[in-house]
Amino acid sequence: MNDLEFKKMISRKQDHIRNGIILLIMAVIFVISLLQMNIDMARIIRGMESVAGFVRAMFPPDFSIIPRVWPLALQSIQIAIMGTVLGIIFSIVLSMLAAKNLTPIPGLGIFLKSFFALTRAIPALVWALLFIVAVGLGSLPGILALAVNSIGMLGKVFSESFENVDKGILDGIRSTGASGLQVFTQGALPETMPALISWSLFRLDINIRYSSILGVVGAGGIGWELVRASRMLDYPAVLMITMIIFAMIYAVEQITSYARNVIR
Amino acid sequence: MKLDNHLNRLKEAKRRDKIRLIVSTIVAIFLITWSWWGTAFSIPAMMRGLPNIYQFITEDLLPPQFGAYRRFIGPTFETLFMAYAGGVIAVIISLVLGIMSAGNIVRTRAIVYLGRAISTFLRAVPAVVWAVIMVAAVGIGPFAGTISLALGGAGMLGKTYADSLEDIDMGQVEALQAVGASWWQIFTHAVWPQFLPAFLSWSFYRFDLNIRSAAIVGLVGGGGLGFILNTTIKLFQFKQAAVGILWIFGLILIIEYLTAKSRDKILEGL
Repeated sequence: MNDLEFKKMISRKQDHIRNGIILLIMAVIFVISLLQMNIDMARIIRGMESVAGFVRAMFPPDFSIIPRVWPLALQSIQIAIMGTVLGIIFSIVLSMLAAKNLTPIPGLGIFLKSFFALTRAIPALVWALLFIVAVGLGSLPGILALAVNSIGMLGKVFSESFENVDKGILDGIRSTGASGLQVFTQGALPETMPALISWSLFRLDINIRYSSILGVVGAGGIGWELVRASRMLDYPAVLMITMIIFAMIYAVEQITSYARNVIR
Repeated sequence: MKLDNHLNRLKEAKRRDKIRLIVSTIVAIFLITWSWWGTAFSIPAMMRGLPNIYQFITEDLLPPQFGAYRRFIGPTFETLFMAYAGGVIAVIISLVLGIMSAGNIVRTRAIVYLGRAISTFLRAVPAVVWAVIMVAAVGIGPFAGTISLALGGAGMLGKTYADSLEDIDMGQVEALQAVGASWWQIFTHAVWPQFLPAFLSWSFYRFDLNIRSAAIVGLVGGGGLGFILNTTIKLFQFKQAAVGILWIFGLILIIEYLTAKSRDKILEGL
């Protein structure tokens, strides 16, 4: 065995030891996390038993609630669409103002981009809670919550798309004496359209997921039925509603991913 | 003649694009009108709401009552514990699910379909729905939150693990098969080393997402920051809620930074 091979063997051994230590630390933190939350073995076993009992009580799903719940599922989809549309409209305007190469006011970009970061990081459900306090229960707070949360994401990606537009194209249009708005509508917007549509469809996908749960806090749609059924211990209804939510999200995901492929 | 053909084909393609554009515009207009009508959305109503929103933000929410930060310390740790424990359980479940549903590793088609179906279902159902169900099953608290994060995470990781496993270079696997290595030997020597970088980066990404999810599963009784935030809002203590919201924002940014940083560091070392 020469020197180099020996060194290699040693370093591999060290790697093994290091990985073992990392795994051990992670396992210890895992156990500490569980204990800190008062989850011990007895609780886990009891939990497993109640989950098993719960699952048994769920079957068969209650198909009789479909006529009542179906309109609410559709309402969830409608809330998602309205929230997405509003979000897109505001995002296009705000991201134009935020894009470095298009903004009429240079300092505005940083301000708007931190606004995007804030609206993005606060979850849609929290926005819904706040809007319910401000405008009351119903689908309006849900729509507004999704719109605001969408602005956070779409504003960011839209302004990045605008900033990536070839400088030559914009300069070419500017040299013809076009106004700032014309540079945007004739240059930046057509150039980025496929990307904008693709991101918007992706966001619609995300919003459908959120809108199915907005009702949990009272912002319209199917979520409220889920909470109600679970509070009334109507487990077959809980299963049926979960299946409807799954079907709804899955169907929309398939459609939007098909549409995005067509665009690409 | 040839040019004509070419021109015709171009015209044809242009016409098809135009039809596609018209059809999708009609579909979009139809969907938006349908949603507008269905949600009884009205711009005047939204406008009337604006002063309320403004008043709510300036009078009820601001300024944040920063002195209330003590209320959020305990729940912050609970959220972190939930996100971590839920993440670890998700990784363990997903390793099984991912291997099950990687068509190049498991040859039995039925098992692959079953694995894919389970992760699709787990992934499509939002974590909050799992939380509502788990709160009903095991009661309010972080236990329900942890399980729902584990289930939601397992759906996503199960799929991404399977996709990464299917992307590995099969040459190495075949080489080991040729010398008569066992399934386990092939897995540890040919599959695992190739899968490791994707495994680490997806798992780290999931921990990052879990912090966000942990904050919202709490809203429905899953414990942690969401739970205390919901409590403050229900009690109309909005100035305290504002502290919680800002803190969730800060925590998400911190965790995003830390996970990205440590992921890069570990991947560099590989």
